[in-house]
Amino acid sequence: MSGNLPKRASVVIVGGGIQGLCCAFYLTTFGVRDILVLDAGYWQGGASGRNGTLIRPGFASNEWTRLFSLSCQEWNTLSSKIEENVMFTRRGYTMVAEKEATSSMLRGALDVHKECKLGSYFVPSSRISEHLPAIDAHQVNSALHLPEGGVAPHHAAMKGLYAACSRRGVDIRYRTAVTGFERQQGRVSGVYVGDHCVSADTVLLAGGGHSNALAELAGVTLDGFPMRLEAMALEPMRPFIKPALALVDSLCYLHQTSRGEIVGGAEVPERPQVTLHSDLPVMSATAAVYARMFPRLGNVRILRHWAGMIHISPDFGPVIGEHPDLHGLWISAGWSYGFAGAPGAGLLLARAIAKGEIDDRMRPFAVDRFRRGRPIAEAGIVLAKELVEMDETEQPATLSPSAEGRK
Amino acid sequence: MSTSTRSQRKAISFQWNGQTLTGMEGDTIAVALHRIGILTLARTRKHHRPIGYSGSYLSGVLARVNGIPNVRLDLERLTPGMEVHMQNVWPSARYDLLAAAQLLPAKMLYGGFEHSHWTPQGQRSFGVWERLMAFLAGMGEAPDPSTVVGPPQAERHRCDVLVIGGGAEGRKAANRAAASGRRVAIASRGDTLGRFSAVLGAPLENLHPAVQVFPGIEIFGAYRDGTLLVGAPHQHDRGAIAFDTNEVVLAIGRRSIPPLVPGNHIPGVMDAHSALRMAYEFQHAPGKAVAVLGTGAEGAIADKLQAQNVNVVHVGPIGALTAIRGRRRVNSINVGRVVPCDAVVHAGPWRADPNLLFQLQSEGQLQLELQPGQGRVTVARSANNGDEVVPVSAALPRSTLICPCMDVTAGEILSHIEAGETDPEVLKRLTSCGMGPCQGFPCWDAMIALLASKTNRAPSEYRLPSHRSPRRAITVAQAAGLTDVVEPLA
Repeated sequence: MSGNLPKRASVVIVGGGIQGLCCAFYLTTFGVRDILVLDAGYWQGGASGRNGTLIRPGFASNEWTRLFSLSCQEWNTLSSKIEENVMFTRRGYTMVAEKEATSSMLRGALDVHKECKLGSYFVPSSRISEHLPAIDAHQVNSALHLPEGGVAPHHAAMKGLYAACSRRGVDIRYRTAVTGFERQQGRVSGVYVGDHCVSADTVLLAGGGHSNALAELAGVTLDGFPMRLEAMALEPMRPFIKPALALVDSLCYLHQTSRGEIVGGAEVPERPQVTLHSDLPVMSATAAVYARMFPRLGNVRILRHWAGMIHISPDFGPVIGEHPDLHGLWISAGWSYGFAGAPGAGLLLARAIAKGEIDDRMRPFAVDRFRRGRPIAEAGIVLAKELVEMDETEQPATLSPSAEGRK
Repeated sequence: MSTSTRSQRKAISFQWNGQTLTGMEGDTIAVALHRIGILTLARTRKHHRPIGYSGSYLSGVLARVNGIPNVRLDLERLTPGMEVHMQNVWPSARYDLLAAAQLLPAKMLYGGFEHSHWTPQGQRSFGVWERLMAFLAGMGEAPDPSTVVGPPQAERHRCDVLVIGGGAEGRKAANRAAASGRRVAIASRGDTLGRFSAVLGAPLENLHPAVQVFPGIEIFGAYRDGTLLVGAPHQHDRGAIAFDTNEVVLAIGRRSIPPLVPGNHIPGVMDAHSALRMAYEFQHAPGKAVAVLGTGAEGAIADKLQAQNVNVVHVGPIGALTAIRGRRRVNSINVGRVVPCDAVVHAGPWRADPNLLFQLQSEGQLQLELQPGQGRVTVARSANNGDEVVPVSAALPRSTLICPCMDVTAGEILSHIEAGETDPEVLKRLTSCGMGPCQGFPCWDAMIALLASKTNRAPSEYRLPSHRSPRRAITVAQAAGLTDVVEPLA
């Protein structure tokens, strides 16, 4: 496979998931040519093909909301930009609060959304049944509806991005593992695929759950660690739930796909696992949330359940920008809402790489923010945070892409 | 086998699509309808082709029963006053306008309604299209509010050895382990153990008294390096069971893979297990004129059917079969000559369902891949029965269905292979092959056989797509009943 790899590329992107492909696409719009995308796995094999496909424009913090509302705007125009249908459907995203404390968090989030010019509105408990007929309204304290949000199936988005990038001359190779990096005078100068070296002045690491291992291979450290997330799909039904949903207090997210399957997952407190195998507690916890909040789903059957890996940063936020310790090495990691954030981050990263302009919406998520003591506090994400917060010493071993590459 | 004879059973009246019919106590809904001559029980997802009880394609036996969607008609027994409705029809089963989708050219639906060739891209027009698409692609309606029940409590069972499968091999393994003083549990999908083995006359050992028996439980998932296995009963009001075990014995036997010929989905095509079950457990013939085709066992299976007064009109090798014809049910087969018949029973090629073994023996950080020999699992098989090759004719018509539930044809898969895509995981994602209720068995076996034949490689050279539990073997309420039974990893 490495036999016909180019000797040189202007930008090498390590990781052919939605982050890598979005950045590659936007780089072409800035006139960058000779882009090479390398991925050790298969198309959609990573988190880009395993996520819940929810697209959410607003959070509780200004930083997250500014980045993700940009991304949501990009989603809305992505089909016409890439001339492929990514099937983004703007059916809205509803954040449901079961507790009063969460309702006040949502009211705070609403102010942030208004500042960022999102059309979000509050749904009081008296109007829940009208807004979400399927839910057991007695369980709901209030909800915040984000009309700009929605979903896009990953097969359509990834297929569209792959086609658009290929048409624009991006060289995309799956099942092609990067096994090393070349450095010269404090900057990156190329990547190795086995014995073959592709020289490049700019390398973007967009390796999802493999980010730590790739950084290590490049000789730099990256805060955070890999972690398994799980999701499941129910057997298809005719339309039952319209918007994408985050049940904030139940740590659960879900939506009904255009082919009728209800896809979602609930977070359970567990020691972070580095595996593609799923476990039982997420399936039973998700089912318990469904049975409680949507009693009619009790007799619906579970079709499949799977796990995927992501990279979790110390503040659970994305890590985007140039690595402070190695010039030319760019990072797109820390994604737990990566599918939603990809077009926005891809655009900003491409502009930074191609034009040297660091956008204000990207700056707070810089790679060295933890070192500078500037993590971002975000209360509106659906992640079982308390389980993840643990001693540095307990962090799980990182993945080894070089070992994979030898297989 | 049922001990009561046909004459002793009570008549039961039930409703099929609003029409009152009479069936017999003890029959499953699928068998009751088959007796009346109703073979089309469901419609495929995209083209709305008629499908029925095949033993291979689950979509064919899913219907709405008493307000609950997607109930398996081949497992659910008839009860008085039962209301059964065909799904995926509009406005009614009798005047189904959606059946017009059969007239659409196959190419138009490559990738399914949800894929993007001919869908509008503008936000507003796409919104309208998406609603239509969701309506067409979804199967049944959500359950009636009156069907809501609380989660049935699950139980946890500790053993040294869990044997899955109650046939001859499973019993032998269970008895051996029990004799050496280990705690043994044996689980079987059937309400009685070893139904198929009993019909075929295989010698069945009596179980050691210390073996704990769990009939009517489908084990669907293996977790935590094979130390935690979970199963659930078909009845939605009974709880799931989680087994803690040191060792697993897989004695699940093999199923016959439907032939890769045009018409393999037509109602009346059935695997040997289902045909024998119909003849022996329900004393009902799969058809008035039955053809039996196989890879060697067809003679023995035809004899067994004839012993139950089934009219067998043709017995021969499956390799000679080139087409099955019929519209709403089989009316003939082509085996070099045309043989009129109204049922086709296939007895091979035989393959084991790879799902549990995949869950028990796969590893990998980029893709779960089968690693034979890994894990605490033993596969119980008699010496001569590994997986058989699925033959693919060089002249296979492109219209042949590879995955009837999702309406994926050989032509659709070939269109991607011809464009250079040969990764089974990618083919699965491009076509949705095997993403229906069966979750990959037997459809991925057929897809990989086709892929291997077109690329002149051995099927074993291709990686299987990941098999994922629980393949609809558990309801949301049953899974909710497991929450306080299994703790998250601390």
